Amino acid sequence: MARATKEGERWKPPRGRHKLPPEVVSRSQRERLLEATMRVVAEKGYGATTVTDLTRKAGISRTTFYELFEDKEACFLAAYDNAVDGLVRQINVAYEAEERWPDRARAGLATLLAALAADPELARLALVDVAAAGPAAQRRFRAAVQRLTPFFDEGRDFAPGGRGVPANASRMAAGAVVGLISDELVEGRADELPSLLSDLLFATLVPYLGPDAAAREVGEVTR
Amino acid sequence: MPPTASQNGAKSKAHKDDLDGLIEKEQLPSGREDLVEPLVAHSQRERILNAMAEACAKKGFGATTIADICEVAGVSRATFYELFRDKEDCLQASMELSLADAMGRIVEVYSPDKPWATMVRDATATFLDLLASRPDFARMALIEAPAAGGRSVEMYASGKRVLQALLDRGRSDPIEEQGIPSSAGRGALAAAESLIVGQILAGNTERLPELLPDIVYIVTIPYLGQDEALRQSREAEKSLHRNG
Repeated sequence: MARATKEGERWKPPRGRHKLPPEVVSRSQRERLLEATMRVVAEKGYGATTVTDLTRKAGISRTTFYELFEDKEACFLAAYDNAVDGLVRQINVAYEAEERWPDRARAGLATLLAALAADPELARLALVDVAAAGPAAQRRFRAAVQRLTPFFDEGRDFAPGGRGVPANASRMAAGAVVGLISDELVEGRADELPSLLSDLLFATLVPYLGPDAAAREVGEVTR
Repeated sequence: MPPTASQNGAKSKAHKDDLDGLIEKEQLPSGREDLVEPLVAHSQRERILNAMAEACAKKGFGATTIADICEVAGVSRATFYELFRDKEDCLQASMELSLADAMGRIVEVYSPDKPWATMVRDATATFLDLLASRPDFARMALIEAPAAGGRSVEMYASGKRVLQALLDRGRSDPIEEQGIPSSAGRGALAAAESLIVGQILAGNTERLPELLPDIVYIVTIPYLGQDEALRQSREAEKSLHRNG
């Protein structure tokens, strides 16, 4: 779509009668709605958010909303997954750009921290307040943490003693990373997230490498 | 975690005997309402706290209404408001009891004479057993409370700080501690918690005790090194088979 848009401005289909295929219009509306949903819920909290808040922010009609989603929860879950998709994609690009596993891990973690620090409100919703949105959302959050485990599992092949490490190590290491980040967010220190890198790298490496080697790797990064 | 459970050894035994005595005297002569009333209130309070945990497990704390709680507890709205200010107050009361119970049990197995790793293993096993025996409370304390806001969040955080202090004692007798970040204990605890919460959300709360070897591994490795952590994990595995 070769249409010039101003920096930071999302392209919208032209108003009124136009010849765009309906599925294109609908996809763009859906994306707008998903982004608006994360924004509104981050600001107001899930419980206080209404469908009207969402349609207003997204600039879509109520009819369109209900064509896309059954209710607020379905919309929030889709919005949440969409946001997680974006994060995991960014992490993956940074991770794949490096060779050695500890370097890959460092690059992935740095990208995650930068992305979260850039949008503290969204970060808090994604990692902390999501639990207030009910059991289905809690399971989505857990699934999101689970999506990070392949990045950790590679430690098993990299580490000399990696084969003997419990199978759940990757889930636990991912949990440690997310937990340490959440602690910062709860304390309102989102802007300091990037300084967490060495702690997170240690938490990532230690189940596979042990404390000595993990500390050495961390030391080399910070030096 | 369960509000019904005992705090610790001898004292609670005596307390329990008191209670049994009172219950035996159930056919109290009329005119003794002063004795009956607190007892009824106590059991209603307990029923409400149980009901809240049950309702939250289904709908989440946010969506749970006082009507839901009253329905499960089989009490009137008026009774609820006699005992609690609001839903948050009820969650807070439940957290208070749950925390007191969890801490009481951990204190029972805690002994400065035990080797640190043994103490960590025993405390973890106790904690997992407790969570497994009260799934709804486990869910409430570890999943709903941290997101509920207010005092409940503080209580959740203070419970974690106590466990972390226990864990950080590993730093006084570590094999190596060079370059270990001060957040290592917090990270290890978050790692364990994440595994536990995952099991709870997957509906496997009753199988939490099986996580003992993995959790022992993750919480000891920053302090003891990989070989010793693996050894401790295998010990934990054996203790599971001995007890299960």
